[in-house]
Amino acid sequence: MKNQANPWLTSNLFVLGLGLLPAAILIGALLYFTAWAFAFSFTDLALVGRKSVEWSWVGLQNFERLFTRRGFLESLWTTVIFVFFSAIVGQSVLGFLLAALLRGTQSTIRSVVEVCIMLGWLLPDIVAAFLWSATTSQTGLINQLIIVPLGFPPINFINEYALPIVTIANIWKGTAWSYLLFSAALDSVSREVVEAAKVDGATPFQRIWLVQLPIIRPHIATNMLFITIWTFTYFPLIFAMTGGGPGGQTQVLAVFLYNQSFSRGNLGFGSAISVAMLIIVGLLSLVYLRMLREPK
Amino acid sequence: MDSTGPSRTAAIALAFMAVIWISPFSWLILNAFNPLSTGQLEIPRAVGLDNFALAVSGNAGRQFINSMLIAAGTATLSVIVGISAAYPLSRLRIPGRNAFLWTLVLLRMLPSAGVLVPLYFAAQRSGLLNQLGVIIALTVLNLPFTLLLLKNFFDTVPIELEEAAYVEGASLLQIVTKIVLPMSRAGIAVVWFYSFTGAWNEFLLPLIFARVQDAFPMSVGLYAAFGQQGAINYGFLTAFSIIYAAPAVGVYFLLRRNMNTGFAGVGVKG
Repeated sequence: MKNQANPWLTSNLFVLGLGLLPAAILIGALLYFTAWAFAFSFTDLALVGRKSVEWSWVGLQNFERLFTRRGFLESLWTTVIFVFFSAIVGQSVLGFLLAALLRGTQSTIRSVVEVCIMLGWLLPDIVAAFLWSATTSQTGLINQLIIVPLGFPPINFINEYALPIVTIANIWKGTAWSYLLFSAALDSVSREVVEAAKVDGATPFQRIWLVQLPIIRPHIATNMLFITIWTFTYFPLIFAMTGGGPGGQTQVLAVFLYNQSFSRGNLGFGSAISVAMLIIVGLLSLVYLRMLREPK
Repeated sequence: MDSTGPSRTAAIALAFMAVIWISPFSWLILNAFNPLSTGQLEIPRAVGLDNFALAVSGNAGRQFINSMLIAAGTATLSVIVGISAAYPLSRLRIPGRNAFLWTLVLLRMLPSAGVLVPLYFAAQRSGLLNQLGVIIALTVLNLPFTLLLLKNFFDTVPIELEEAAYVEGASLLQIVTKIVLPMSRAGIAVVWFYSFTGAWNEFLLPLIFARVQDAFPMSVGLYAAFGQQGAINYGFLTAFSIIYAAPAVGVYFLLRRNMNTGFAGVGVKG
């Protein structure tokens, strides 16, 4: 009903359709690649050698290997721990606390803290990995400033506590996104509501927990889902810091996928890992869409 | 606002946090400006820019150009393809439009790791295991996000303005370039910035696509350099890291106001 009365649109349908074409082709390509990943997962395709040309269908063999051989289930568990602690506990909670705290403070403090947090977020993944490797090394900042002055021998954190260190590095890197989103969300809560709660005698804690949090519930859902999915498939930071080691301790699914596909060259098995990841992300997305459709 | 007591405690806690947050940078800065750097955390005996001179010459300089080409290419291509499709999507009731938009919402969640193997294969078959291939692949992966965001921004441009322009005799091209684009300038800047930094930071695709050292962008170059055993030149690497980090950080602070206004819409609207 909108465009019937808009002659500059109706007389130029051909041009507008032409404008849609490149995007439609690229989106089509993306769908096609996704379908291809599914097809590859039923083959024994390899990166190099005879099987890169003369591959054959192997049925569900790759998917059987996911569950019967060591690797996939361990990686999945590592990924779940990494996502839970770095994204859900770390980034979300810290991001929300910062957003809530900074609203009450002067604008100078707010800007300074904001810039500090943003620097972590803006830093390229590989630089962040480099920085955190150096910070946690035996001669790094944490050892020189805390461990050694306290009289302990320096600790090689990245070897001994690999998963906690990459988790902290990821919290450091990613909190800004949650902070910005929660900050914008809290801005959308009308002042009157909060003032009214204050007049009724609500403590600051109650104001946040009982008034603001329920109002920004859709934002929380959005934030959770986005950072869960991103962290679930996050590759560069961990890969550059540990390569999945030591001994597979930090081999999250994305690193496992890379190692299987491009280090070992098992593209067929790698595709089965991709498909498993796609299915998990797809299920999470469905949860997300349901949450958004629910009446607020 | 509140009484000064709690807010002072909060301010101190926040300042403490900011210091912790920024402390890892000390190592980076101290080593980058130390011509005799050894990779230790120490106060340099001499201060100089020698490391930066090294980090912009030769191979490192080429990697900077490669990264620039990939990032600017991806951002510009994404925005052009995005705009030309987002305007019709925003204005026309095309059959199947809603299905298409929901597909985009779902595709936006698609992890690039999921289509890595087919992407590599397609690029290998069509001879695109190079920078152009990286640009096209990143644009494809970016597009659902770009398109949805631009459509949302175009939706906020009042159609009455376009009607008025049409009555005055403006053509479609004039309406788009003189009204729609200027009015969604902030949104386009946000989209461009996101695509730019995304492509600038991208590591996995160039790692797989770039077969020769000449084609490495800075991300892969830095990874290759610090993964090497033996004599690592920390002064060079830290200076290189700072130069690599600078554009994304700089562009953000240039566009900061736009970013924060545009940001509210990024995650929330589907």
